[in-house]
Amino acid sequence: MAILECNELVKAYGHTPALDHLNLLIEPGHIVGLLGPNGSGKTTLIKLANGLLTPTSGQMLVNGMVPGKDTHAIVSYLPERTCIPLWMSTRKLLDFYQDFYADFRRDRAEEMLQHLSIRMDQTIRQMSKGTREKVQLIMVMSRAAKLYLLDEPIGGVDPATRDYILNTIINNYDPEAAVIISTHLIADVEQVLDEIIFINQGQIILQSSVDQIREEKGMSVDALFREVFKC
Amino acid sequence: MKWQFSSDAPIYSQLIEQVKVGIVSGVFPPGERLPSVRDLALEAGVNPNTMQRALTELERDGLVYSQRTAGRFVTEDKDMIESAKQNLAGYQIRNFLTAMVRLGYEKEEIMALVRQENVGEELRNGDS
Amino acid sequence: MLRKLMKHEFRATARIMGPLFLIVLVLALAANLALRFLMESDTFLPNLLGGLLMAAFVIGMVALAIMSIVLMVNRFRTNLMGDEGYVTFTLPVSSHQIVWSKIIVSTVWFIATGVVEAIALLVCFFNLDVMRDIFSSEFFRQAFHALHELIKEYGLNVPAIAIELIVLCLLSCAVLCLEFYAAMAVGHSFANHKGALSVLFFFVFQFAIQFISGLFFNADEFEHMFNAGMNGMQAFHQMMAIFIGMELVIGAVYYVITTFTLKKRLNLQ
Repeated sequence: MAILECNELVKAYGHTPALDHLNLLIEPGHIVGLLGPNGSGKTTLIKLANGLLTPTSGQMLVNGMVPGKDTHAIVSYLPERTCIPLWMSTRKLLDFYQDFYADFRRDRAEEMLQHLSIRMDQTIRQMSKGTREKVQLIMVMSRAAKLYLLDEPIGGVDPATRDYILNTIINNYDPEAAVIISTHLIADVEQVLDEIIFINQGQIILQSSVDQIREEKGMSVDALFREVFKC
Repeated sequence: MKWQFSSDAPIYSQLIEQVKVGIVSGVFPPGERLPSVRDLALEAGVNPNTMQRALTELERDGLVYSQRTAGRFVTEDKDMIESAKQNLAGYQIRNFLTAMVRLGYEKEEIMALVRQENVGEELRNGDS
Repeated sequence: MLRKLMKHEFRATARIMGPLFLIVLVLALAANLALRFLMESDTFLPNLLGGLLMAAFVIGMVALAIMSIVLMVNRFRTNLMGDEGYVTFTLPVSSHQIVWSKIIVSTVWFIATGVVEAIALLVCFFNLDVMRDIFSSEFFRQAFHALHELIKEYGLNVPAIAIELIVLCLLSCAVLCLEFYAAMAVGHSFANHKGALSVLFFFVFQFAIQFISGLFFNADEFEHMFNAGMNGMQAFHQMMAIFIGMELVIGAVYYVITTFTLKKRLNLQ
């Protein structure tokens, strides 16, 4: 069964449709790049899958269920900004995730935090912006979820941090799970993707495997993207 | 070892080639165990599924073999490694020749240039 | 899951309310000492110091009461409507559980605040002649006597009244929370001016409730609820029942508005 399924999905803000009769199927076991220019509907799609928005019409199913508390238990979500409570210490944050998520692997999270030399009594507020982002990613990737929804995980980070983030994702995701990475920085993620989805103006315009594109078109996904979305 | 990818060929075929290079150059010695798929993928910075696909392909060629529990190993068949080496060399030479011909050189001129350059020695000195 | 939500809600709020409670109690003690020693003295400096300590105590008391409401509002605003909302609303819990955890924890803090303020007053005036004077004064004795007569005459059931008042008080606290929550949930469901709209909706709700309850109390049906045959106590019970019933209805309306808006019109940015 598909882990994520959209049928004729529409989401409109006022009169402008952010998603326009979108159809999509994503199977488990893949790392999928959700690629599109700014404002193409990437974040809206991810928010809908998290139940943070409700569809105007059509259907969004996660593991066959409408997003809600049951899907939240199997979806691990990295929002586009850091959203973890600033007043919490690292330890309290670990307690928080452990209390709410049965699939949270605390030992793994602690190991990664230790690797970054982040102290347990340090509060999120005391950390730099980059460290906060890493801590949030560690929390998200320490869950053995069925679906990881990562919204712009490498937006605006330096190349070393980008490598750290991508390695953390590869190293920790469950091979049975699906990972969806939304980004417009394609060259940076291309190598870690199995599959790509091009989204534009609220519609899927291409869904293919990375190697298929390279084999058939003789060009990288990045080059294809530039061609398809040429201004 | 260093992993580098060009943007025009499928990633899995580039992985196959680079693991082959690793085997013939002795980074992965004959009969030795290969790192796990996930570790190799991490090292190369690629998707584990793609690495898996590349290794499966190499297995089909016989350059690596897997033992159910212990993991994947490089073949002990030295002849097979030698022939893989020659294949890779042939491929490089053909590439080189194509480029030189495009520049307008004749075969004899190329040979002369290669002898003159002494590339092999330079590389060896540069590496050490 | 409700228990876990409440646990973490307490963790988030206790770090603010705990120290505040402590400060108010220390100020009460200081005020007590000030009343005892400093204010009695005839010299200027101790007198001034005593006055300042008393003022600090009064300000502390008022600040505590205000803080308990501000904290309730702020928790909803930051933890649900702000960036933290991305984390809160993707927990494997229902929005009902989220709202309930916030109501319950806030109500507990309101009660705790009331208790601490009462204790602080007792501490402040503990064993002071002023208090002894008040309690032994003719006025107080007469008031107490009158109350006693009243209880006897109308057959007042003091425990029942106390229970009804406590229930009404708890309910009002919860409904107060819900009024703020509903206003914020609706206000934040718009794209712009979320804060201003929240305030606006608070007053709109307030006005609507005043208006409707005004209509209700003026309606004939309201008067029919009391008949001439009732004695004082029965009439009181009836009145309390009506008040409690009204709070329940208002609370339910706010609850539905809040949870519906959070579910269908959530608009985090």
